Amino acid sequence: MSLLIKDESPEKLIGEDGKRLDGRDLNELRSIKMEVGVIPNADGSAYIEWGGNKIYAAVYGPREVHPRHDARPDRGILRTFYRMTTFSVSERKRPAPGRREKEISMVIKNAIEPVLFLELYPDSVVEVFIEVISADGGTRCACTAVAILALADAGIPMKGLITAVAAGKVDGKIIIDCSGDEDKSGEADLPCAISWYNNQIALLQFDGIMDLKEFDKSIDQILEALEKIRKLQEEALKKRYIDVRDHLKNYNPKVVTTNNIEEKIDSNNQKNQNGGDQT
Amino acid sequence: MEVEDIDEIDLNQMKDKEIVIPGEVLSEDLTNFTPGRGTTKQGNKIISLFVGLKVIRKNYINVIPLRGIYTPTEGDKVIGVIIDKNPVKWKLDINARNFGILKPSNTVARTQKFRKGRPERVYETTEKFSVGDVLIVKITQADRLHHPELTTQGKYLGKRHSGKLIEIPPPKIPRIIGRKGSMINLLKEMTNCNIFVTQNGRIWIQGDNFEKEMLLIDTIHKIETEAHTSGLTDRIKDFIINEKTIRGIN
Repeated sequence: MSLLIKDESPEKLIGEDGKRLDGRDLNELRSIKMEVGVIPNADGSAYIEWGGNKIYAAVYGPREVHPRHDARPDRGILRTFYRMTTFSVSERKRPAPGRREKEISMVIKNAIEPVLFLELYPDSVVEVFIEVISADGGTRCACTAVAILALADAGIPMKGLITAVAAGKVDGKIIIDCSGDEDKSGEADLPCAISWYNNQIALLQFDGIMDLKEFDKSIDQILEALEKIRKLQEEALKKRYIDVRDHLKNYNPKVVTTNNIEEKIDSNNQKNQNGGDQT
Repeated sequence: MEVEDIDEIDLNQMKDKEIVIPGEVLSEDLTNFTPGRGTTKQGNKIISLFVGLKVIRKNYINVIPLRGIYTPTEGDKVIGVIIDKNPVKWKLDINARNFGILKPSNTVARTQKFRKGRPERVYETTEKFSVGDVLIVKITQADRLHHPELTTQGKYLGKRHSGKLIEIPPPKIPRIIGRKGSMINLLKEMTNCNIFVTQNGRIWIQGDNFEKEMLLIDTIHKIETEAHTSGLTDRIKDFIINEKTIRGIN
């Protein structure tokens, strides 16, 4: 029995019913789940599940810069590390950071840096470690979205959030949020991020062939999609604290007396005995 | 033990405050409101910089962050752990972005020798403390560009020989203290422990026995998770009474 996973892309990416391979409409997003505060030892952390992407981000700092000659006396510096695990793609990825990883690290850093108040932390560094556990197209957009969540969770002052999503061109049609297959065999790929405090583009890359009309159309569709993702980001940041409040709304303390304890112990013992009988 | 006197917005009396996120518009009315702590002006709007609680005081809009690092301030008493030493200074981890520096001349001098009525010069070395020691120190000098200077000369300062050290996020320290020290007094009375709370997020405790110390640690972690809720002091009182009965502590 072979365990090899075939890495072939299908010929047609849009079916006859006008839907994509995974059953989505042309401008429909994949399912997105975000969580904040997942790594206890980090100063701030976040996790995202975006379709088949699974990504962790952890923030450490502001802390001292090493090597010291990298430090700036007038502002803090931001370091971003985008890494893919060896098992994140179908064929084993070599663990050493390659050209693509360095590029994406830089692109994310340049997108995020303008919204942070790094001038408050001179001579220090804020480090963001982004680890892709599973990759399925559009990781740079997902990483930008999750990195800003982790930074907000760490309490780094910032002007606003950043959201990113990719548009693409497949079988002559504009699609939003490309999956892995669509990324590989599509005609064009257009990742775009927006910083919301001034509504300006923070990241824009382009690969492929597209005319200007299609470009304008894809930017319009990207803006629509970004609004949806932004709401999810806001919810994720607030959820951590609102959950505790909701839990305490029904707070109705029962004062335990010694009698209660004996009852509790008895009932526990009975439960254990019953459980033991069943097994 | 004394508690640091803190000018902090009164969190205990207020009801559940709105949780805001970075970039959220707090107000568009700039004639009646002024951006306060944790906020900034963006065009004709006041926006938040942190994930935190929105608090309006007079005409100031403030955001109290829920997480963040400690920024050393002159005059703060903090708990530090020695991470390194050389013949002229100790380096202390004070939970800030830079380590603090403690020089032997800023520690309590050893007994001076007198010769012919005049004090003989005593050469101070760094033999007094070793790596790993827990010290309560005071910050004498702090700015954004230099390492903070520390001293152990003063009331309650110096090395701790026993007790336990715990750490929580620094923005949650005001909740441990409570309004005019209400929470910390409650903790002291009910668990019968010595507590020293410092602004860098560290708490030193020492109790009569292990059980009481563990009860206090659990209580502090409960305060930490529920720091942004209202009616905390009453809930903590119930919690301690309950736990005491369950654990059998008098």
